[in-house]
Amino acid sequence: MTKKDKKSLNQSLAEWKLFLYNPTTGEFLGRTAKSWGLILLFYLVFYGFLAALFSFTMWAMLQTLNDEVPKYRDQIPTPGLMVFPKPVTALEYSFSLSDSSSYEGYIRDLDDFLRPYDLEEQKNLTACTDGVLFVQEGPAYRACQFPRHLLEECSGQNDANYGYSGGNPCVLVKMNRIIGLKPQGHPRIKCTPKDEQVALVRAYPSQGFIDLKYFPYYGKKLHVGYRQPVVAVQAVFNPNNTRKEATFDCIIDGSPNLKNKDDRDKFLGRVTFKITVNA
Amino acid sequence: MGKKTPEIYSVELSGTKDIKKTDKRDGKEKYRGLKNKCSNFRKNDQIEEIKEELDLDDHKLSSEELEKKYGTNIITGLSSARAAELLARDGPNALHPPKETPEIVKFLKQMVGGFSILLWVGAILCWIAYGIEYSNNPSSSLDNVYLGAVLALVVILTGIFAYYQEAKSTNIMASFSKMIPQQALVIRDAEKKTIPSEQLVVGDIVEIKGGDQIPADIRLLSSQGCKVDNSSLTGESEPQSRSCDFTHDNPLETKNIGFYSTTCLEGTATGMVINTGDRTIIGQIASLASGVGNEKTPIAIEIEHFVHIVAGVAVSIGIIFFIIAVSMKYPVLYSIIFLIGIIVANVPEGLLATVTVTLSLTAKRMAKKNCLVKNLEAVETLGSTSIICSDKTGTLTQNRMTVAHLWFDNQIFMADTSEDHSNQIFDQSSETWASLAKIITLCNRAEFKPGQESIPIMKKTVVGDASETALLKFSEVILGDVMEVRKRNRKVAEIPFNSTNKFQLSIHETDDPNDKRFLMVMKGAPERILEKCSTIMINGQEQPLDQSTARAFHTAYMELGGLGERVLGFCHLYLPADEFPETYSFDIDTMNFPTSSLCFVGLLSMIDPPRSTVPDAVTKCRSAGIKVIMVTGDHPITAKAIARSVGIISANSETVEDIAKRLNIAVEQVNEWDAKAAVVTGMELKDMSQEQLDELLANHSEIVFARTSPQQKLIIVEGCQRLGAVVAVTGDGVNDSPALKKADIGIAMGIAGSDAAKNAADMVLLDDNFASIVTGVEEGRLIFDNLKKTIAYTLTKNIAELCPFLIYIIVGLPLPIGTITILFIDLGTDIIPSIALAYEKAESDIMNRKPRHKKKDRLVNKPLALYSYLHVGLMQSLGAFVVYFTVYSQEGFRPSTLIGLRLEWEKHSVNDLEDSYGQEWTRYQRQYLEWTGYTAFFIAIMVQQIADLIIRKTRRNSIFQQGLFRNKVIWVGIASQIIIALILSYGLGSITALNFTMLRAQYWFVAVPYAILIWVYDEVRKFFIRLYPGGWWDKNMYY
Repeated sequence: MTKKDKKSLNQSLAEWKLFLYNPTTGEFLGRTAKSWGLILLFYLVFYGFLAALFSFTMWAMLQTLNDEVPKYRDQIPTPGLMVFPKPVTALEYSFSLSDSSSYEGYIRDLDDFLRPYDLEEQKNLTACTDGVLFVQEGPAYRACQFPRHLLEECSGQNDANYGYSGGNPCVLVKMNRIIGLKPQGHPRIKCTPKDEQVALVRAYPSQGFIDLKYFPYYGKKLHVGYRQPVVAVQAVFNPNNTRKEATFDCIIDGSPNLKNKDDRDKFLGRVTFKITVNA
Repeated sequence: MGKKTPEIYSVELSGTKDIKKTDKRDGKEKYRGLKNKCSNFRKNDQIEEIKEELDLDDHKLSSEELEKKYGTNIITGLSSARAAELLARDGPNALHPPKETPEIVKFLKQMVGGFSILLWVGAILCWIAYGIEYSNNPSSSLDNVYLGAVLALVVILTGIFAYYQEAKSTNIMASFSKMIPQQALVIRDAEKKTIPSEQLVVGDIVEIKGGDQIPADIRLLSSQGCKVDNSSLTGESEPQSRSCDFTHDNPLETKNIGFYSTTCLEGTATGMVINTGDRTIIGQIASLASGVGNEKTPIAIEIEHFVHIVAGVAVSIGIIFFIIAVSMKYPVLYSIIFLIGIIVANVPEGLLATVTVTLSLTAKRMAKKNCLVKNLEAVETLGSTSIICSDKTGTLTQNRMTVAHLWFDNQIFMADTSEDHSNQIFDQSSETWASLAKIITLCNRAEFKPGQESIPIMKKTVVGDASETALLKFSEVILGDVMEVRKRNRKVAEIPFNSTNKFQLSIHETDDPNDKRFLMVMKGAPERILEKCSTIMINGQEQPLDQSTARAFHTAYMELGGLGERVLGFCHLYLPADEFPETYSFDIDTMNFPTSSLCFVGLLSMIDPPRSTVPDAVTKCRSAGIKVIMVTGDHPITAKAIARSVGIISANSETVEDIAKRLNIAVEQVNEWDAKAAVVTGMELKDMSQEQLDELLANHSEIVFARTSPQQKLIIVEGCQRLGAVVAVTGDGVNDSPALKKADIGIAMGIAGSDAAKNAADMVLLDDNFASIVTGVEEGRLIFDNLKKTIAYTLTKNIAELCPFLIYIIVGLPLPIGTITILFIDLGTDIIPSIALAYEKAESDIMNRKPRHKKKDRLVNKPLALYSYLHVGLMQSLGAFVVYFTVYSQEGFRPSTLIGLRLEWEKHSVNDLEDSYGQEWTRYQRQYLEWTGYTAFFIAIMVQQIADLIIRKTRRNSIFQQGLFRNKVIWVGIASQIIIALILSYGLGSITALNFTMLRAQYWFVAVPYAILIWVYDEVRKFFIRLYPGGWWDKNMYY
């Protein structure tokens, strides 16, 4: 075979032009207008059909769902723990006493979060029996009151700054909502500082107990007005110590069916956070 | 290899030699002279160069000078120590295979070829991404490092695999050529020893005898009737005598040099080794042949084209989405990771390995059918072949003389020339036949080698020349035990055939005890025999030979000669008992017996008949649009006769000469374009300009090149390639090797081929049979079709792998499928099914269509890419997304919640992400759900790939026409897909690094409706293609 001559730039440019628009055949990008019309029409119909089919199958799939309860809950057998407010950087609270703007955000978040826990907001809720699971049959589901004052020092009622201005900030620890979860025993959030020399922990309600009456949860749609039980944790720094930086571990304790240790999931039944208070 | 056993005779014959009343030797000289003239004129430059470069003067030296020059002794030979020394200096006496690419280079080529570069880029991007991440946050996860390592591993493993495959196919070849180690009889330390000829060194004294291959270039020191066949060097197959006399200045012409790899036909000789290995003449030609550039195989071009398309798509989509991601304010790091995902999704990682396996499977299949493929890609080249330049002798013909026609009683009878001679139907009742049979039996010196009782007659080894062998076998088949007949008719005197007499004569006692006469039988050149006769036998009665019978004889003789056959005449004479009593002593020197006024009995003509499978094969080629050109060194008449009988020149087409004869006009007056066929001799070819040759090749559909030298083959091949044809060339001699190299696919003969030819070729025909080429063509075409299917199958899921990334970036869904998971599809579930498609039978008769056009019929064409990507691929993606949404919805995340959730979803610090039902999820719980999503998406693609696999079985026919269960391997493939998926999901679901989870059983079936849709849609597509062939649908939807 003879060696093919390298196409010159001009030649390939001309070829491109001819491909873009060929005046003799009226081809535009290799197809005539009619051919383009046909192929576009085909794809319009074909994709229209596919879109309809996809919509239909999605609709059919959604019909299999229950509005109130997800079909499966096997992937969240036991709840995770999480703190509130959300720290600016991952799970590290850091603020300075001298600069109120550094903790204003936390206070606003806590205010917002706890507003539904005001008594006026809970007027329509039930005052349930303490210490027992509040199992309901429906069709209407009632929610139990969680009065804000249970959080005592961290309720914001005594100290509007939730202890932040005093250098002993409050953090809410909450257990993830899981539909139908029935804790056994006496679940409580147990928080311990890594170094007791630096800081101590106070928990409200006392010892961090979570009352069983808030369980089980029946889902967003059915369980209107559900108040998620929370435990407030207040870090009390040793005033003699100048370094006001401490790490706290919180775990769910006292309930055999709530796991607080998992190799892979560091938030399953436990949460670790750090508080740094600068002068 | 190619050691010629004595039963293979050179059967190049000249049909006119007997017609022209020329002395045989003169004819031969003429023939040779003619040849030399043309070869001197046109001989390949390279050969010319060799002639010039050759400073060989050993042929001029005397024995004493030689002894001095090589430090040896003619009587005692070299000492072993000296030989070992020389062996160490010069290396073994073997041809180096042409310039091997170093193994490491081959290996590295595999590592960077094809998609590997893209994957390397992906891997490096992964590590860069990790580097950036690490510099920001030293505790960042190692995921990207792993992914990069996995990508690198994929490249290295597929590279090693491809390398291994190639090495394996090369090894088949290597082992093949080592099958028969050559031995040489050498004198060393004054002792005769048999050593492997590889160990010969310069100065060794070797002894050769008939049947041996000459183990090195040797200068003959003594010779007894030694004749050699230099056809592997010169292309001439006439035996040439060898003596120790210096006859010509040119070492190639002189008689006292024997060349490496040529064959000693008869006699014995002693010679001194003067050149070994690559320094031999053959070695030099062979190494020059390797200099002829090897064209890229068509399939390599196709695969390159395909790689370009896919890489183009991958890179452009990758870059577009990189830009989109950056402009959507994604951090550059993330954008890089998207880019990697897109590349990985787009590149069919397993495909090139699959192609290699597919090709080697076909190569294996072809090897079973006697086509040994050296270069895997050549498998397909054969399929796209549009011109086959074939040798005649041995390839188209059986390579043995066989009796084809008989003439007696004024009638021509046809003999059976098939391979086993089983069916001799001519009339054997005539008395004349009995006489003729007797002459055939008795006037013959050939004998079967003893100890072959159990071998069928046609396969028995015979001692004797080609014609006598033919006659012996012919008579043995018809009359039974020839030896017994000869025993009963004791031979009393004999004059063997010689070229001056041109006859052979023997005198026998008869087996009739009452008949005391001697019977003289004679055979030879018909005109010579007729001269000696005064009577002719008709129906058993002797009749005077008159004008009319002589005319009849001439007509028959011309007719048989015109068929390209070698004709022999037979006559006999009963010597009167009174003149020649029982005790009479015959003296062959004084010829004391009459050799005239004999009784003419009949004619018998022989030809090297075509192999019985060849005409069919040629017809197949013709219907497959493949032009078969015969290139032979033979005489044009013989060549044309064979060409006609095998159909290379079809029954109703004429050459210019035929037309001239029919119209009774001069050849010059015939309009050249009226002739479909052409017979061109080497002489004519040498006078042609390039343009004339091109014209000839383009305008005649049936061409025979006769009397060509092997060098002219190269010219013919180049001419065909100028026409844009894919040319297959067969060859056996060393001089064929440039043409074999030059051809798109060189086919060497396994039995008759020289090592150099085999080295230069891409394929070796183990049985030297042309029909095997046609089976090869069929396999090659099938593999092209099936590769199309494999590629279409593999490309389809790329969209289903790519869409998740695009949706993920644009809509912000949690990632539907991970990069590792994609690799598990590409290199896991999809591998065996895509290989299984190689076992698919042809949809229609693939031998009924034209060879594919190199430029137009691409492996991967637009409809294939569009149909795979935008039709089936899209349906697959939709099906997979339905499964994905099902999994998330049923676990609590409805589609409406999912949209835009990506950012929160992926934050490690968010451990209370709320789903559609108010439940809260930790990051790990979400992660696990994401993996479940990966698994579900994976299973969905797998399930739909099963449908894809089934629809890809055919491109035009309905699956039900093709048969759902005919290709069992497809089902093995499907089973493998399911089993691998089961293992990944349920067996390895607990290994987090693999990102698989145990999937609920029902999710396996969610995509089934889409799988059925794919099948139905494709059946509809095929239905419309069959309904409106050539229509709009066909043009746009048929790939």
